[in-house]
Amino acid sequence: MGNVLFNAFSFLQKKLKAQDIPCVNAVLDLKDGQCVKDILDSLGITPQDIEGVFVNGKIAPLDTPLHDGDRIAALPPGTPGPYRLLLGLVSSPGHKSGERSDKKKDPAK
Amino acid sequence: MSKILRINTREKTYSFETPAEDIAGLGGRALTSRMILNEVPATSHPLSKNNKLVFAPGLLSGSPAANSGRLSVGGKSPLTGGIKESNSGGLVSQKLARLGIKALVLEDKPEDDGFSMVVIKKDSVEFLDADEYVGVCNGDMITKLWDRFGKRVATASIGVAGEQRLTSASIQFADPKGHPGRAAGRGGLGAVMGSKKIKAIVVDDKGTDRVPLHDPEAFKAANKKWVELLTSHPVSGQGLPAYGTAVLVNVINEAGALPTKNFRNGRFENAQDISGETMAANIEKRSGVATEGCHPGCVIKCSQVYNDKDNNYLTSGFEYETIWAFGAHCLIKELDDIAMLDRLCDDFGLDTIETGVTMGIAMEGGIIPWGDGKAAIELLKKVGTGDPMGKIIGNGAAFTGQALGVDRVPVVKRQALPAYDPRAVKAVGVTYATTPMGADHTAGYGVCQNILGVGGSIDPLKKDNNVEISKNLQIATAAIDAAGLCLFVAFPVLDNPEGLQMIVDMINARYGFSLVVDDVTTLGISILKDELEFNRRAGFTPKDDRLPDMFKEPFAPHNTTWDFTDEELAEALKF
Repeated sequence: MGNVLFNAFSFLQKKLKAQDIPCVNAVLDLKDGQCVKDILDSLGITPQDIEGVFVNGKIAPLDTPLHDGDRIAALPPGTPGPYRLLLGLVSSPGHKSGERSDKKKDPAK
Repeated sequence: MSKILRINTREKTYSFETPAEDIAGLGGRALTSRMILNEVPATSHPLSKNNKLVFAPGLLSGSPAANSGRLSVGGKSPLTGGIKESNSGGLVSQKLARLGIKALVLEDKPEDDGFSMVVIKKDSVEFLDADEYVGVCNGDMITKLWDRFGKRVATASIGVAGEQRLTSASIQFADPKGHPGRAAGRGGLGAVMGSKKIKAIVVDDKGTDRVPLHDPEAFKAANKKWVELLTSHPVSGQGLPAYGTAVLVNVINEAGALPTKNFRNGRFENAQDISGETMAANIEKRSGVATEGCHPGCVIKCSQVYNDKDNNYLTSGFEYETIWAFGAHCLIKELDDIAMLDRLCDDFGLDTIETGVTMGIAMEGGIIPWGDGKAAIELLKKVGTGDPMGKIIGNGAAFTGQALGVDRVPVVKRQALPAYDPRAVKAVGVTYATTPMGADHTAGYGVCQNILGVGGSIDPLKKDNNVEISKNLQIATAAIDAAGLCLFVAFPVLDNPEGLQMIVDMINARYGFSLVVDDVTTLGISILKDELEFNRRAGFTPKDDRLPDMFKEPFAPHNTTWDFTDEELAEALKF
């Protein structure tokens, strides 16, 4: 048991705010064994809603296990910046945007 | 064939000439950098008669190609002492191209103090007295020029910073609505224009034909695919139009790479207050304009109009880097104060990155308190009055740091670092250190997989592969700047294996060239070689390709340091 700090950005923040779902520096309960996807599921966020998820400041797969005090943030498709490749947001040529090039054979569950 | 228009600012004469063979096929940054290398003695003082100011449309500018209206402005930089290409939207690029002008060159300098302006039309080039406009801010200047010469003429003007020849001075361009939100900001080229006593340039293309296309059908087919590519990608088709670049505030903060309080750590506790999401909500609430292009033919439309609480115009082209520089870097959390600082920079004609970083140095030096937006506004206003403190601030971060005895000055080649910490995303740090431009994020922005040749993921916190990535990004960016394309086309081009071919197809159909994709790499390398050669002649050595020692400190939250050796950095632009 514990907590995680959750944020959503861009279109996703607007969408969640419209549904009164906490998404700006929100402190959420964390149950033992929960991963990123479990938290997103609990908020009604689908894999199609996101391009990448930060866990403690690094882009991480959706099956990343979470721990008390972790910080997570969800990014929808469409985030610009020179860091798309460097942060791991960019896909390889011919693949759907949002699919990490090093994770394409092991997509997030 | 397009001509070079040379303006002698001392004699107030002009001439058209046919471009020499070695520059005939060049445009944009390729042309400005080649001309500066060929024509400006590298050791000359940037404000002397020997420096030149070159305005060059990209190869595709003036054509119907989407997002091709970017302009390159080149010269020897008063800020860095090296070569400079500063890139802007606005209306000048397309109108020069339609007038058949490949480059406009300001040469020599007057011996008296009177200001002039240059008015270029289809059948005339005129010098007009501009003394009545001295001291006029860029926003008002555009209004006056549109009233006098007609709405939607293209304008390039300097504000009071350029008139004072301050090394942070920009050249501002009217956007399609007549706001001064577009700038050739970096490197102090506004001071070069001020040294030549040119307050403004007006370009009117009335009566001109469309630019000739060698193969109209092939061009049309390539441009159709190009537009589809840009509008269907989530970044250029959705993200940038909705939130502009300011959406990066939260993202880069989350990544732990948002330099906060003069690069002390990577997260700003008030990031949400100055985020793109907050900006977009304010625009909606205050009847601003959420999305607009910086030049006609832009389909990405990442610019916007940001109004104040009373729904009156405050600023436009409100970019991530500006918000960071006056925001997280200075600990200012009131977005409206940051917008006013952006407005003042546009009106005075100041580079917002340089000036924002300088404001943090003023806080470091105890001139005003950290986080005090109102005090920052009052300090910046001193540039407008010619106050000695304003002259210090307007000369940039390195100068201000020296004036105030500050030992923490984030510059490379005396140009302030932009909004991404080099310890948290190391390839960008390599670009800051090694680009001939001085610290510049846009020097390594364009990315395309054909050039990159890297498939796997890159760890931004480690050194591995980051020198090679920076090198490839710098090559690709130089080529995009030569085409006159907006750098944001890089996102869809990266994600589509046919993207780069579309650009090549449009250039070939425009001119009858037979370029192939590999020629893009060759072009990018040749541009960088020209720029490196100018800097070598100017006296730059490998010791100038380093970050300040302050970046050896661990950087929270990832606690990484800047750990490249000089030998590793020397590989970045070895050709």
